Amino acid sequence: MMKPTVVVSNLRKSYGQGESKVEVLKGINLNIEKGERLALIGKSGSGKSTLLSLLAGLDSPDSGDILVQDQNISTMSERDLTNFRAQHMGIVFQQFHLVSTLTALENVLLPLELLKRPNAMTTAKNLLESVGLGHRSHHVPAQLSGGESQRVAIARAIAINPAILFADEPSGNLDEETGDKVMDLLFKMVQDTGTTLVLVTHDPDLAKKCSRVVHLEHGSLL
Amino acid sequence: MTFKFFFIKEMKKYPLFFLILSFTLLLGTMGLVGISIVSSQVQTKLKNNAQELLTSDIAVSARRELSAEEITSLNSIFQKYPQESYKIVDIYSMVTHLRAKASRLVEIRSTENKFPFYGGIRAKDGVVFDNRGLFISKDLADLWQVKLSDDLQIGSHVMRVAGIVEEDSSMGLRGFSLAPRIYMPLEKLMTSGLVKAGSTGSFAHHFKLKDLSPQKIADIKKDIYAGIADPAVKITLPEDSSEQTGRVINTITNFMALSALIGLILSLVGVFYLYQSHLLARLKDLCLLNLHGLHKSQILLGMIAQFTFVFVVVMALELILIIPLYKTLAPTLSNNLGIELSGEVNVLAALTEIPFLYGLSLFILVPLLFGLMRTSMGLQLKASKLSMGRFRFWDFIPFILSLWLFSCYLSHSLGIGNLFFGSLLIVFFISTLMVRGGQFVLRKIIGNRGLLLPSIENGIALRSLTRSGHKLTLSFLSLAMGATLISLILQLDKMIIKEFALDPKKPSLFIFDIQEEQMEPLAKLAEDNATPLAYITPMIRARLEKVNDKKFVKKKRSFDFRSREEDEDARFRNNSLNLTYRGYMTDSEKIIKGDPFPSGGAADTRLPYISIEKRWSERMDISIGDKLTFDIQGVEFEGQVHNIKEVKWTTFYPNFFVTIEPSLIDAAPKTFLAVLPSSKKENKLSLQRNAVEKFPNISFIDVGELVGKLSGLFEKSRQAIEVISWLSLAVGLVILYGLSHDQVYRRYYDLALMKSLGFSAGRLRLNLLYEFGALFLSAMGLGLFLGWGIAQLIGKEVFKLSPSVDWERILYPALLLTILCLATILISSWRAVRAKPRELLSDS
Repeated sequence: MMKPTVVVSNLRKSYGQGESKVEVLKGINLNIEKGERLALIGKSGSGKSTLLSLLAGLDSPDSGDILVQDQNISTMSERDLTNFRAQHMGIVFQQFHLVSTLTALENVLLPLELLKRPNAMTTAKNLLESVGLGHRSHHVPAQLSGGESQRVAIARAIAINPAILFADEPSGNLDEETGDKVMDLLFKMVQDTGTTLVLVTHDPDLAKKCSRVVHLEHGSLL
Repeated sequence: MTFKFFFIKEMKKYPLFFLILSFTLLLGTMGLVGISIVSSQVQTKLKNNAQELLTSDIAVSARRELSAEEITSLNSIFQKYPQESYKIVDIYSMVTHLRAKASRLVEIRSTENKFPFYGGIRAKDGVVFDNRGLFISKDLADLWQVKLSDDLQIGSHVMRVAGIVEEDSSMGLRGFSLAPRIYMPLEKLMTSGLVKAGSTGSFAHHFKLKDLSPQKIADIKKDIYAGIADPAVKITLPEDSSEQTGRVINTITNFMALSALIGLILSLVGVFYLYQSHLLARLKDLCLLNLHGLHKSQILLGMIAQFTFVFVVVMALELILIIPLYKTLAPTLSNNLGIELSGEVNVLAALTEIPFLYGLSLFILVPLLFGLMRTSMGLQLKASKLSMGRFRFWDFIPFILSLWLFSCYLSHSLGIGNLFFGSLLIVFFISTLMVRGGQFVLRKIIGNRGLLLPSIENGIALRSLTRSGHKLTLSFLSLAMGATLISLILQLDKMIIKEFALDPKKPSLFIFDIQEEQMEPLAKLAEDNATPLAYITPMIRARLEKVNDKKFVKKKRSFDFRSREEDEDARFRNNSLNLTYRGYMTDSEKIIKGDPFPSGGAADTRLPYISIEKRWSERMDISIGDKLTFDIQGVEFEGQVHNIKEVKWTTFYPNFFVTIEPSLIDAAPKTFLAVLPSSKKENKLSLQRNAVEKFPNISFIDVGELVGKLSGLFEKSRQAIEVISWLSLAVGLVILYGLSHDQVYRRYYDLALMKSLGFSAGRLRLNLLYEFGALFLSAMGLGLFLGWGIAQLIGKEVFKLSPSVDWERILYPALLLTILCLATILISSWRAVRAKPRELLSDS
């Protein structure tokens, strides 16, 4: 049996101090298998984005372990974590978050050149073509629509062939039709590349498209 | 609701913004309000000085005794008002020091009781000045080594010296007259035999008018002119007694105000940035207000009212701070400016500049407010990202126009105001051109290459620089302008030092009225005294009678507000002048139009050539080729203008507005003047004593003392301007920090994203350093260069200096600004480098 890509054990996270301290995650245990498409659903404030930020190494837990491809990222220094994230993880945000001064092509090129991958330019161009934006490669984010921006963000996230792709409400800022198209594209790309997907959403219909759905409520998995 | 929103809710919601806005406004306006207070005190003091110079409220004088009819006319006018009067007669005469058996020419001021109504005369060793005794000036006392018991022969009288005058307020800062002055009672002079029928001198009747307004006194002046037909009778009011010191101090305060305006402009750039960020932050609230029925015009009025409220609070705070500060600094300022300033502040005068400051501050916001008006507020609520309507170039026109008007108003000169404003415009256009040109070149370099140029940090920085649009232009412009102004101030400072430094080569003594036959023995005497003479120059008294055979007419004098140029014009357009003849240009002269005189003097076949000074030619409206006719002691002399020259007057060498080619003019009645280069005081005094003994008609002016006084005055003023320039620099740096902080803040999410993609803190900092470093350093470099260039232009136009490069004053500020810039970037990027990528997530 293959080892899970992600192993989370007894993960805890709280914010604030003293009386205002809020325990957001209360001892989460979770395994994510390679190639699995996991949906994390829950109401606002349930802790799903906090869990995502810890899994993606964007924040550090108060206690507990997170093993990604056998590496415990919860004990890594910020520097090592940054390098690990660059090599093994891709993230798609709800607000798209493209670098405003770079074109669509350069945004996709950014993680590739950061890792000094060979043929970075060709890979980036191909990826843009595959998300249907070859003709918009020299446009800056301000010249792209919301759907186009998110497609560029997906291409950028997938560019390094990450072991795991995190998606935080990727269709939350788009209209329904565009959102559906973007999500179809996302699922197609993770399927084609065999990438593990962790999708945070509050939309049960979208969650159903994943291979597994995990409910989070008041900081605990149901 | 509107009131509640703009004045209570908003201010409570954004306390930091209003605090920083107020602080920026306070910093920028403080210099100008402070200078306005000092300037009003200077004006008051100068007005009092003018009264002290004249010694009365009004004086009626002529070069002869007033006739019985004229006295009757005067009495009929003045008897209507409560008044006091005295008479002053000033004549030049030879006086003999009986103990030293030496004679010399002196100016005798004879006065009556009550002299002076205004000002005072301070005698040495605690002796009280008295109109009944004989007092002599300090320079004459030094020259003759006079003691209080010594007797002087004045005409037929022998009078004992009652005191030595150390300070006479009617002399102002002139520090000299054509001859040393002595003071004696009027009745003694009238019986001395020195004043006879046909004697020339100044015969003045002075009046002190009780409780009359300046307007009423001006009306009396008109009545006197109406009653006395002879134009030779001159009526003088205090403001007519122009004084060099007053003009100099006025000029200095005007330049100080322009320096402070630099600080204001920099702070307004900061206000613009702050307000832009703030508008964007509150745009959603404003759109919601609009959605609920508040018209755009009401929003605009609300925002103007809110800004006005902030401005008024800032001004009130400023006055509360500045008035006690001025009172504390008044003694130091008095010392620095060389005139005693009152410690009391005229609050009304302090408020003079405030409407202008308000106008400028509000006008800088016009483009943003217009941008807000152009925003489609309904659409904003649907958009994923808020964006304000763009402002256009013509939105800045009210600010540009008011800045131009304010520059002219502060400098009291259309010329200097235009020069200042024009320089700002040049910087604006060159900076914009550089940014756009630079972006074009960088775009070409980047082309379709990847991000590694050669490193990814560089590549991203370069792309950011080429694609930031008007925000980058504005940042570059602000920085370049700040650096230009700082560099300009430092360069001008250098010029002022250079111009007015006590130069050991400058003359220490002017020698006048040397007759032709006295020239040779005097020169020998000077050589024997180890003080050889220099610049021996003939001087001819003449009147300009005709220009191109048409009678020269003096312009009528305006009594209304006059700019500095009009004031100078009025002084210049006098048809009496001293001229000289020589076939060459001196070191302090430079031909700017036309050709030098041909060697060998004027040919018989043509009119002798004339060289005229540039400003004199402009004010007299005379140009090359014009035929000028002078009256030289009743004989007409004609010549033709051959060239126009610039004269560097501050060399203190014998310079003339008009120089004639050697010709028949050589035979005209003339005297000579010569210069004694800087020398020891004992040598100077011994030359004067020996020369006066042999040539009693010769007059001396101690220019060394004048140069010393002026140098001191300018040195103090230079220090004041330097303080203002450093204040401007401080304002500039605060703005610079604000700019970089604002840029980093705007791109916070970009930086957080780059971190999430794998950029370490060090690489992010490097990226920011490359980008902002390139922006700041190129703007600073351009600014320092432009500042140097403009300073060279001003140096050429105003101080007649040749272009020069002072690397110290370019490299040191460049180094300082570079360090400050890099430190500013690192400090302001701190927050960005610590950016948490977690904040990019939806729940954050």
